[in-house]
Amino acid sequence: MNLLRKPAVREFLRIIIAVSAALLLGFFITLLVSKQPLEAYRAFLLGPLSRFNRFGDWIEESITLTLVGLAVALVFKSKQFSLGAEGQILLGALVSGSIALFVPLPGYLRIPLALLAAMGVGFVWGYLPGYLKAHLNANEIVSTLMLNTIALKLYDYFLIFHIKPPNAGYNASETFTKDGILPSFVPPLPFLADLRARFMSQTNITIMLYLAILAFLVAYFLMYRTPFGYELRMIGANIKFARYGGINVKRTIILAFAVSGVFAGLAGAHLAMGIHTKLIQNISLGIGFEGIVVALMARNNPLFVPLSALAYGYLRAGADIMERSSDVSREMVLVIQALIILLVTAEQVLPVIQQRVAARREAQPAASLAEGGQ
Amino acid sequence: MAALVEMDNIVKIYPNGVVANDGVSFSVERGEIHALVGENGAGKTTLMKILYGEERPTSGVIRINGNSVHFHSPQDAIRLGIGMVHQNFMQIPSLTVAENIVLGKEPTRRGLLDRKAAIQITEELSRQYGLKVDPEATIESVNVGMRQRVEILKILYRGAQILILDEPTAVLTPQETTELFKSIRTLVKQGKTVIFITHKLREVKEISDRVTVMRGGRVMGTLLTHEATREGLARMMVGRDVFLEVSKPPQVRGEKVLEVCDLTYVSETGRQVLRGVSFNVYAGEILGVAGVEGNGQTELVEVLTGLRPATGGEARVLGTPILNRTPRAVRLAGVAHIPEDRLTNGLALQATINENLIVDRYFRPPFRRGWFIDNNEVRRHGQQLIEIFDIRTPGGEVPVASLSGGNMQKVILAREFSSQPQLLIAAQPTRGVDVGATEFIREQLVEQRNRGTAVLLVSADLAEVMSLSDRLVVMYEGQITGVFPEAAKATEEEIGYYMLGVKRQSPEEMEAYL
Repeated sequence: MNLLRKPAVREFLRIIIAVSAALLLGFFITLLVSKQPLEAYRAFLLGPLSRFNRFGDWIEESITLTLVGLAVALVFKSKQFSLGAEGQILLGALVSGSIALFVPLPGYLRIPLALLAAMGVGFVWGYLPGYLKAHLNANEIVSTLMLNTIALKLYDYFLIFHIKPPNAGYNASETFTKDGILPSFVPPLPFLADLRARFMSQTNITIMLYLAILAFLVAYFLMYRTPFGYELRMIGANIKFARYGGINVKRTIILAFAVSGVFAGLAGAHLAMGIHTKLIQNISLGIGFEGIVVALMARNNPLFVPLSALAYGYLRAGADIMERSSDVSREMVLVIQALIILLVTAEQVLPVIQQRVAARREAQPAASLAEGGQ
Repeated sequence: MAALVEMDNIVKIYPNGVVANDGVSFSVERGEIHALVGENGAGKTTLMKILYGEERPTSGVIRINGNSVHFHSPQDAIRLGIGMVHQNFMQIPSLTVAENIVLGKEPTRRGLLDRKAAIQITEELSRQYGLKVDPEATIESVNVGMRQRVEILKILYRGAQILILDEPTAVLTPQETTELFKSIRTLVKQGKTVIFITHKLREVKEISDRVTVMRGGRVMGTLLTHEATREGLARMMVGRDVFLEVSKPPQVRGEKVLEVCDLTYVSETGRQVLRGVSFNVYAGEILGVAGVEGNGQTELVEVLTGLRPATGGEARVLGTPILNRTPRAVRLAGVAHIPEDRLTNGLALQATINENLIVDRYFRPPFRRGWFIDNNEVRRHGQQLIEIFDIRTPGGEVPVASLSGGNMQKVILAREFSSQPQLLIAAQPTRGVDVGATEFIREQLVEQRNRGTAVLLVSADLAEVMSLSDRLVVMYEGQITGVFPEAAKATEEEIGYYMLGVKRQSPEEMEAYL
């Protein structure tokens, strides 16, 4: 009972319960649509672990989701509903990819420069809707969606008219050279050579793994240990209180949008320089919006974002594998996935269970009196 | 003969485990005025909501005229002649008084509302019970006193024999209170029974026949009012001796701290809310601002604290201009602010107590160290203030939302008093807090004054402003219409006339005392 009072334990339990309920429901649907439901569901549940390259896909995806989840969590914590991650990712990918392609610097300079530039463009693309919200009270949902469209069109324009090789038959850049690709997360040490070769041949897990961990720590400390984090959380808790207490509400809101963009921009660099190693059309495929799911599942607390990203990434990877290796159609897979998200992000799953428990206790007033009467 | 209302051994436990009524027995005789008193959270309102069918008891029996009854909704209670006037009126502002009164049980003609009949019904009821209303005025255009009479007429129209009034005087001026009491006596003469919830003991003595005191979800006793004393009742309510009058040492008036000159404010909708307000507050004095709510007091406070822009005029704290500055700049000039609406402005409910206590100081040492906030220091600071201000909580890391109203207010007081202000602006500091906490808050305000802080006290509770203030001004329609250099020597009736706009002093008369 006392353990249950700990918020961290409750959050953890909540995620577990919600995911289990969602999985059960998913299985029920699989039963209805598949001739071999057990096989299909097995592919879904265990697929991501069944092969080394699938495991790699899951981790890569989770890294992106962690970065985007952190971005969304930061801005949502201040109750500013920026949906701009998608656009920030695209521009982050575009800018970092262009540097990876065209800036003639050695890798140890080119890669950091590309990453910084991606973060910088994310900052700017966050600052804009932040400024519009703080000073002109422009609805951030509308403004960020519009900025997403602009970012997408800019991305396509530069890709198709300036970046793609003139006579290529597809809308993609050339593959980056080694100086523009993020190195493997396994350091190039002689005694790790085998491991490194194995990971490099089958996965794209890069040093972005460490950067994501770093980003997670930065986001957590930023939110819970710095004056900016305090301002952001107080604005989220009660904006009038923040104003009354003397917090510079406008400045903080703008910064929340912009800092959020830094993380999303980095996620874009990961897509370009880590996963695809070239710029392609539809590089983000809506992952900016999936970051919202990750953040909601983590209750906008950076502490839970990696866990939430891993769980969500796993479901996604599993669903892809089920689609490829069973008779369940893509549409049904998407339905199952959506149901899972719905259940997992439902705010009230654990509270409802607690209320049931409390109601049962109320039926025994004598016991409750003894407990509550202190 | 059985009592009219008998509530026997009522237990109410909310799903969250809070025991609101813990074996309460309560009875009301036909034709009496029965006062129900107790601190906030004592269970009075819950008990009455049970009687009115809004809440269902966990266990216990209700008997009306000796017959056991089970209410599933207020409709059941109304059918048996029980009506309740809530603290928040349930009226439709754009409809007329008469329409509001008949709403839900409208006289109709050919399926449409019969306005004439509605007006006639209202006039008859109004005459019969001596509750004056204007049937054809819209609710939004009439004052609080009339809105309350409308609410009473509404339940009388539905055939109420037993009227439950939940803190009816909280929103009224002294004159309106007197009127209300007259009406209550008329009602009783015509055979009605009244249950009167309050925490003002003076009113208990004035109006009731019997009084029941509740504390902590239990009944502490029922007395004949003429045998009870205010001190005795207060002791029963709080469980210890309470000092109803604040003792104030003589004033040591210091330098001029706040200087307000010809302050004006026009609202976003173009309404002239403050119309040239001028006054000073000196170190070591409490300047009280009395007035019926809605006469510009709220805006005055918000303009002075940087929450609203001023349209014109000047205000300085020890020479520093404070108008149209950010709230932080105003605070740094030495102003502390206890806001009128503590849930909206004064607190972030989901944030912890510790977090709420640092909103005006987190950016300075010792809380800020380099890039970081020193959480150990934040905790230590919270612990210290929790002890000094006796905030009842399991610790500083719980959300403020889990505290009682009085303790929430103490969190604000702890923060604002500990900032060691030059000027303390307190708006409605004791609204909605119980007797024990009220006593504490008043003592603290006087303590600040004794230490040489200038205090600007805005309160709708006239008795409070009068007993705490050294000087007192009355605001009416955005202007100061009267100043009383010695608040203690004025009478409630006299101030009441200024509050209602019946009397006003000329600028020349006031000049010397502002």
